[in-house]
Amino acid sequence: MASQNGKKKILIVDDNEMNRIILTDMLEKNFELLEAENGEKAIEILSKQHDEIPLVLLDLVMPGLDGFAVLKEMNKNDWIRNTHVIIISVETAPVLMSRAFNLGSMDYITRPFDRVIVKRKISNAFKLFSKQMDLENLVKKQFETQEKNNDMMVNILSHIVEFRNGESGQHVLHINELTELFFEHLFRLTDRYDSCKKDLNIIRIASSLHDIGKIDIPGEVLNKPGRLTPEEFEIIKTHSATGFDILNNLPLYQDEPLIRYAREICRWHHERYDGRGYPDGLKGDEIPIAAQVVALADVYDALTSDRCYKKAFTHDEAVRMIKNGECGAFNPLLLQCLENADADLRRISSMKTGQEQKINSVVKELNRMEEST
Amino acid sequence: MTLQECYKEMNGDYEETFSRLGSDAFIKKLMVKFLSDDNLQKLQDAYKNGDGATAFMAVHTLKGVALNMGFTPLAKCCSDLTEKLRGNNILEGTDDLLAQVEKEYARTKEIVGKLDA
Repeated sequence: MASQNGKKKILIVDDNEMNRIILTDMLEKNFELLEAENGEKAIEILSKQHDEIPLVLLDLVMPGLDGFAVLKEMNKNDWIRNTHVIIISVETAPVLMSRAFNLGSMDYITRPFDRVIVKRKISNAFKLFSKQMDLENLVKKQFETQEKNNDMMVNILSHIVEFRNGESGQHVLHINELTELFFEHLFRLTDRYDSCKKDLNIIRIASSLHDIGKIDIPGEVLNKPGRLTPEEFEIIKTHSATGFDILNNLPLYQDEPLIRYAREICRWHHERYDGRGYPDGLKGDEIPIAAQVVALADVYDALTSDRCYKKAFTHDEAVRMIKNGECGAFNPLLLQCLENADADLRRISSMKTGQEQKINSVVKELNRMEEST
Repeated sequence: MTLQECYKEMNGDYEETFSRLGSDAFIKKLMVKFLSDDNLQKLQDAYKNGDGATAFMAVHTLKGVALNMGFTPLAKCCSDLTEKLRGNNILEGTDDLLAQVEKEYARTKEIVGKLDA
């Protein structure tokens, strides 16, 4: 809003040159002034520069387009939201003053102009703008900090689980991103799940918690390098119900959307659309949609990432395997989403490869340094 | 003639004007500007053409100028004519008021013309 010399801009609109001279003399030291001798010129200037002009001093009675016409145009184009108007007029009739206020002007300066009053009214207006802006920024900043802290806590929590699991810390981030992506495609495909639309950010955060139940799985089972015995696999399978129980026993916040979604996701992200999953054998749309989406995200990420027991599959291989039903059974709508998200998934997967290459090169570098010492 | 003498002769309010506008130099600068003011010409032309709207605009502007300059008698008779024309712009029956504006305007300009440089 300030020009190059740091002065804020004011547009003076008055058909009388003497008035403009007086106002200029009063204000030129502290402001950069623009002048318009009629309504047409004022609108022309505003249409180009309204973003840079926080204040207009506007005369009402002018030949051609008058001050009211300028106000109407400013309302029509929504310039009045950020460009404030102070009326400068010899008119003092209440009917005219109130009409100007109703059209959004913020103050009124009558003639004769008084140096002190003019300067003070304008400096008050600017104080008000900057207070308003400060408050807006404060709220925004607090909101951002809170969101960040919130996100950070959930990340730490899910990372603890992954850390025990010996998985890359990237898994949770991938699940977040994929969950959001699949939901966006799902919303485009059908309006059946529109009730989730407003909660998408919450669902994204809740997806981070899908594996917290693993905290209760013994380390030797969780990190066993070879094939699991059927008994060991049964132990692993308890993590979904355990995650649900952990959240269900939280003393507070039971009714918060974040907890509700997290509970669903924990318990049912290993259910299958054909009813052959665990722990409850839910079938089709008995499985809450958030859990269905996270299940797909989980499988896709597992397939396309390196794990201690396997190399990463390519995007195409992973999609083919999922579609063939080799890695579970999914809602046909979600399989459609997988297909529709093809371009996005390729982009994510190329970024993922890039990150892994970077991590690998850092590891190599560390090993080399260790060898040389 | 000094500024104070000018204001005294036209029955204007020097003190009030000085306190609003801040300096003699600036008031003088505006006085010089006033000498080339053409609003009376506009007003008279509008009367000749029977153009009430333009007449209103001209006398309205002149009233603002006179108020800003502290030319109290001129502001008063401009204000009278402005209010008479407001809303209807009918020129008939306002010749007396116009004559007063013309007379006061001429007197004010004459006095301003005698101001020391």
